[in-house]
Amino acid sequence: MQDSIQYIGEQPLFGIIGNLLIAIAFSCAMVAAIGYFYWMRSGDIIWKKFSRSFFYIHTLSIVSIFILLMYLILNHRFEYHYVWEHSNEEMPLKYIFACIWEGQEGSFLLWLFWHAIIGLLVIYRTKTWEAGVMMVLSLIQIFLSSMLLGIIIWGDQKIGTNPFGLLRNDPSFANLPFIKMPDYLQHIKGNGLNPLLQNYWMTIHPPTLFLGFALTAIPFCFAISGFIQKKYTEWIVPAISWTFTAVLVLGIGILMGAAWAYESLSFGGFWAWDPVENASLVPWMTLVAAAHVMLIYKSRKTTVLSSFILATISFVLVVYSTFLTRSGILGDTSVHAFTDLGMNLQLEVFLFFFLGLMIFQLIKNFNKLNLSNVEESFSSREFWMFVGVLLLIIGAIQITFQTSLPVINKLFNTKLAPAADVIDSYNKWQLPIAALLLLLIAITQFFNYKNSDIKNVSRKLLIPALLSFALVLISYCTLGNNYRLHYYILLFSACFAALANTHYIINVLKGKIKFSGSSVAHIGFALIMLGALISNSRKETISQNFKNINLGKDFPNSENIMIENRIDTLPMGGYYVVYEQARKEGYNLYYDVAYFNQNLNGEKEKAFTLSPILQLNERMGNVAEPSTKRFWNKDIYTHLTYVELNEKEDKSNDPYQTAKEAIMAIGDTFITSNSFVILQGLNKNIDKAKLNLNEQDLAVGAKLMIENVNRVKFNAEPLFVIRDFMSYSQEAMVDSLGLKIAFSKIDPQSGKITLNISELKSNKKDFIIMKAIVFPYINILWLGCILLIVGSIIAIRQRIKLTSKNLE
Amino acid sequence: MIAAALAAIYSTFADSSTYASIAEAKADPSKTFHVVGKLMKDLPQIYDPQTNPNLFSFHIKDNKGESVRVLLNKAKPQDFEQSEQIVVIGKIVNQDFIANDILMKCPSKYSNEEAKAKALQGSM
Repeated sequence: MQDSIQYIGEQPLFGIIGNLLIAIAFSCAMVAAIGYFYWMRSGDIIWKKFSRSFFYIHTLSIVSIFILLMYLILNHRFEYHYVWEHSNEEMPLKYIFACIWEGQEGSFLLWLFWHAIIGLLVIYRTKTWEAGVMMVLSLIQIFLSSMLLGIIIWGDQKIGTNPFGLLRNDPSFANLPFIKMPDYLQHIKGNGLNPLLQNYWMTIHPPTLFLGFALTAIPFCFAISGFIQKKYTEWIVPAISWTFTAVLVLGIGILMGAAWAYESLSFGGFWAWDPVENASLVPWMTLVAAAHVMLIYKSRKTTVLSSFILATISFVLVVYSTFLTRSGILGDTSVHAFTDLGMNLQLEVFLFFFLGLMIFQLIKNFNKLNLSNVEESFSSREFWMFVGVLLLIIGAIQITFQTSLPVINKLFNTKLAPAADVIDSYNKWQLPIAALLLLLIAITQFFNYKNSDIKNVSRKLLIPALLSFALVLISYCTLGNNYRLHYYILLFSACFAALANTHYIINVLKGKIKFSGSSVAHIGFALIMLGALISNSRKETISQNFKNINLGKDFPNSENIMIENRIDTLPMGGYYVVYEQARKEGYNLYYDVAYFNQNLNGEKEKAFTLSPILQLNERMGNVAEPSTKRFWNKDIYTHLTYVELNEKEDKSNDPYQTAKEAIMAIGDTFITSNSFVILQGLNKNIDKAKLNLNEQDLAVGAKLMIENVNRVKFNAEPLFVIRDFMSYSQEAMVDSLGLKIAFSKIDPQSGKITLNISELKSNKKDFIIMKAIVFPYINILWLGCILLIVGSIIAIRQRIKLTSKNLE
Repeated sequence: MIAAALAAIYSTFADSSTYASIAEAKADPSKTFHVVGKLMKDLPQIYDPQTNPNLFSFHIKDNKGESVRVLLNKAKPQDFEQSEQIVVIGKIVNQDFIANDILMKCPSKYSNEEAKAKALQGSM
């Protein structure tokens, strides 16, 4: 029936082209996979051109889909559901990319895009491994591009969701009247990008994270194709620099997420063990472990089995994290999760296919692996590296298990909820693991592979160990018993790791930058831990509630500060704060809070202003965004915990607010913003003449006693009058409290009366409730991030140089 | 290594709390529960930030029909009234549920089909 309508202004051609491109991308991935398979099997160079051509077409289609989607968004083609849902006409151009990957379809597209680009790089760089690696990569692309197909088979099983579907064909709009209007396009506006995501992070964080995910596939491809081709060990060395690159990029992606959270989410920190954060942290941990066992292989020709397992499981865990995020199974436990698009079965097939492939190859080839059980000696570098790897695995298992509780509930029909104190439940495993890892990071570089002179190693470690111990001692003397033992242990191991690696660069490497990559990266990691430790364990909530009434230890009501607009100047953390004004810009309400210093003469001088934000977000409810003042040695991090919004801007000239209805029996109390109103009784002996009433009128007065917060009492008596069968009220005013009270009803059965109490608009107080936290030395953490990145880049460059030298 | 991994899993198990009904939470006041319920909009919600910005009280009813007063040890969440489903985390103390944390499921206009349709009509 719909098709009989001629819709005005629709351009369905783009959709047809888009669908065609998706179909081409999907089928070319299939053909490329087959081609690469035969090339790998036969080694016949004929297949090279064939498979490459199809992979090129596949890549070209993916890029074209991307460009087409961008074109549709730029031209506001709202007849397409995806364009309507994720963009609108008002949106600044800079968020165009964010619109593309806001939805599931777009993020699958981004993932496909990176795989395709990396595929080109594999073709360009790897020589003997192209066929095998590209075969597995094309296999992955088949599954990923099927996520965009949007076709229905076997009755009702949906395969993929299509970004080129028409708005009017979307099932949720099936019965809406607009479908019947031929010119509906002239009336609709885009839904727009979620305001919370209108942020430059949304432009850079997802592509980095997905590039990291995509790079994780490469070690997987190397390992699987190595086993298929019975080259059980040869795949490892050429995969090392890919693995480290994946570690680097995925690491940057995760850190960006943490920085985003710190900057604009108000959970008070940079890491909250959110399930989705965990879902990308776990593959990173296994990938780090994989990279290190692969290094051990390179020097000692052992650890083949663990290289295979860790390299492959990292990718499987990436797919698992996709499943967690997109299946809707995390439900309420995460801020990130997408909504269920009915693709769970397809996601499960995706996950179990590659998990199955990994397990199958492992079992099939297990007895062919030359598992030489070399007894590792304590004095070898590989021994300590392997201990580190085991620690990483234990950490990864603990996080995976806890993150997967919703999955376990579903599988076993249990009702497990996250721990009451989630963060503590993670920390009690992850912190000891971190401390041990840091100790290993400190010592391991000083060992040689195979065997080393323990005396020599300990002599070199002595200075950094003593220095770190001195630092811990100093901090113990200043901080005293306020912190538990494990704080000092972690402090020691972080300092030791940073100092020992610095020592290594200066005294062993003699300052040669190009060999110092791994040491710099390890210093970076140590500083991240140090910064996290100091800023988190010594953070101080400086906002305190001065107006509080002590409500006992069950209700510690001291963490938030209440500031009244331009009335209060309250001391807070060495400053005096004044709430100056609220202003609106776009979606955001900014609450300007000025911070004053007191100088020696007792005068207050303005130091700076912070403007925490309340974002009026129709889609997710209003969101508080923090505002942070950064100093070199600390951050002052503030966010709103409560503000009262004027529901609708009241433009009438009535000086009173809308009346509140109070149904009261004698003795009841009603609370206004500034007083208690107590109904003491009804007065039936009204002096009618004095009140200008007629003799025949019936009148009752409500005897009210009103007490303000300073216990000053007022009396008021509004009247309920019946004249000629009509009732009305003679209001009572209490001017000094700004109250107007009408007596509008008597219920003879219950004996209760109804009062309408209105307050002057000026009675409404404008206040905010804010929380402020000082994070000391958080810059150590960000410095650590930079060093981790720089060090990894140096190390990867060096490794690529070495590999290409070896190949020549 | 395996022992350590098992220990990690076991401790996570031991730490985890359970989703429970109000009756179950009342039966064991020593334990922390996640209780899922709906806001009872006809009963008073009290938030008086001038006295205590960290106390908000309201009533919920679980899907077995039992109700309880919740004393939330936090500022009143933004958009509280719009929440459809509430998960409160805490324990029973003197017949009241003392909650340290709250999770709310709002009728997110992001996912809810009906709301999406409304958004579309609103723009027309």
